[in-house]
Amino acid sequence: MQDALPALVLNSEALPRHAMDETPTSQSNPAGPRASVGADVSDELLMLAFSKGSSDAFTELFARYKQPIFGFFRRRVPEPTQAEELTQETFFALLRAATRYEPRALFRTYLYAIGFKILRAQRRKAAFRATFFGQRNSVPDPARQDATESGLWVRRAVEKLEPMDREILLLREFEQLSYAEIADLLQLPLNTVRSRLFRARTALRTLLEPPFAPSTKDAAPNTVQKGERA
Amino acid sequence: MSTTTHPFAPEEVMAFVDGELSADRAQSVSAHIDQCTECSEVAAEFRSTSHSLSNWRIAAVPTQLEERVTAASQKTPLRSVAVGSNGFLPIGRWVWKHWVLALGASAVALTVLFAIATPNLLRSRMAANEASAIGRARAIDTARSMSVDNARTDSSKVRGLDALTPAPSAGVRPAEAMLSQPMIARTVSLSIVVKDFDASRASLDAILARHNGYAAGLNVATPQGAARMLQASLRIPAPQLVAAVAELKALGRVENETQGGEEVTQQHADLVARLKNSRETEQRLQDVLRTRTGKVKDVLEVEQEIARVRGEIEQMESEQQTLEHRVDFAAIDLKLAEEYKAQLTTPAPSVAMQLRNASVDGFRSAFQSLLALVLFLAESAPTLLLWLMILAFPAWLLWRRYRRSLAMGLSL
Repeated sequence: MQDALPALVLNSEALPRHAMDETPTSQSNPAGPRASVGADVSDELLMLAFSKGSSDAFTELFARYKQPIFGFFRRRVPEPTQAEELTQETFFALLRAATRYEPRALFRTYLYAIGFKILRAQRRKAAFRATFFGQRNSVPDPARQDATESGLWVRRAVEKLEPMDREILLLREFEQLSYAEIADLLQLPLNTVRSRLFRARTALRTLLEPPFAPSTKDAAPNTVQKGERA
Repeated sequence: MSTTTHPFAPEEVMAFVDGELSADRAQSVSAHIDQCTECSEVAAEFRSTSHSLSNWRIAAVPTQLEERVTAASQKTPLRSVAVGSNGFLPIGRWVWKHWVLALGASAVALTVLFAIATPNLLRSRMAANEASAIGRARAIDTARSMSVDNARTDSSKVRGLDALTPAPSAGVRPAEAMLSQPMIARTVSLSIVVKDFDASRASLDAILARHNGYAAGLNVATPQGAARMLQASLRIPAPQLVAAVAELKALGRVENETQGGEEVTQQHADLVARLKNSRETEQRLQDVLRTRTGKVKDVLEVEQEIARVRGEIEQMESEQQTLEHRVDFAAIDLKLAEEYKAQLTTPAPSVAMQLRNASVDGFRSAFQSLLALVLFLAESAPTLLLWLMILAFPAWLLWRRYRRSLAMGLSL
């Protein structure tokens, strides 16, 4: 898998936005014997150290990104075990590709690119199996969701979005990639990413509204044009 | 209902909330939002939507995963250091791609090495063969010149199966020598390919002169546009046959060699005995003619008988000479063929002519390939269309199903 890893060259200067629960930060590291190793060091420097043989650097990187990467997959595949396998595969790919790492992009972008490649490969394989061997992709069953996971109504709403809009929304909201990074990852024009993200958020807001709540559709951004709002 | 004009589209407000605007633009949007309640509400809605999404929480990473990844990372801590030390990955860490690359490179290197070394090896081997043959021939020549010449002074009939057989010593009578050794008429057939025909021709003459041989027949053919050929029937004194053959072989590459020997000892002995009898008969008749007297008729009959015996004697002597000559001089049927090198009969064509020829060839080639395609289509199109019609629908169904499966895979 590491042979197909992309050589990302991203020039985004967007800074990580507000921290969500899975945002990798050095302050959010769990306390442990190696928590102090590189705790105030950037991801890129840690990755460079790891590529030179420092296993402590990888431990720190894993501590920072294990939850975000697991969340990345968990929000996109139906089974928790599948998400676990893909997470493991992503970090294994990172291990194998460590010697070829060049700090040309943010490390998290690089890591999500690896994850996205692995996810796409898994989707292709699943689609192939479903087509030629009749194995259906298991549609996520809310009843089978992990008891510790929450936000069923949000999941349902996100599920109803168009696939590409949903992917852009998830990459923005949870992985906190910039518009340029999303455009590079999905091979889309930057403006397309922005307009699709706007469309996804607008649709999601509508989907999240209570069914009999006082309608605010009149003020919905997707119904107004630039320069004039009723 | 009032209509308000806003300088910024909702998308831009969203980009502002996401921090994706440039500093100047962000400042303008921020200033506008501070003043415009509607745009402020739009921004608040975006923030609210993001906040709603934050309710989607994921369970903690399973501990087994952490253990597996940590264990894997412990196994490869020094990989990059090992790679960086000498620029090559240790063999123990090679994956299949490295092995394929290494095997391919080795195969190419071996092929190149083989291609370079083989001609040199062949050349050196041929040179060694030639040198040893010439050396052997010279050694044999020296030995022969010391022994055979001595024998020839006393005996004009030196015969031997082997060139290295010791020659009869001085004082041995020819008849005894003839009886002590078998008489063998030797024949050799050689077919040799030479590089330099003219030099080989000169060498052939030199070999004949050196070994006191001669050419009983010689024919040189120089056809137009083909290799030159020389066919010769050589006669070489038997004792020097081996040396001469070795030197002839050194002229080029021997394609074919045949040696044969016909033993004529008995034939020669019979001939000698008959000759002796005839001579004795002739002698007795001469005595009868000289001592006896009789009728003229009887005298004439004796003279006729003497003439007949004389004729037989001469015929047998001729046969004996021929036989002995065959034994003394071995026959070599030699075929020399030249390695043909194509000659440039006409000067190289000009650049313009080459371009023209290339254009003509290219046009012809293009036309022929187009024609081949048309012929192929004419021949196979009905079959292809038939199978296309048969397979198109199932393929379309499979493709649709694959796309649907892919779309389902995109769903959560």
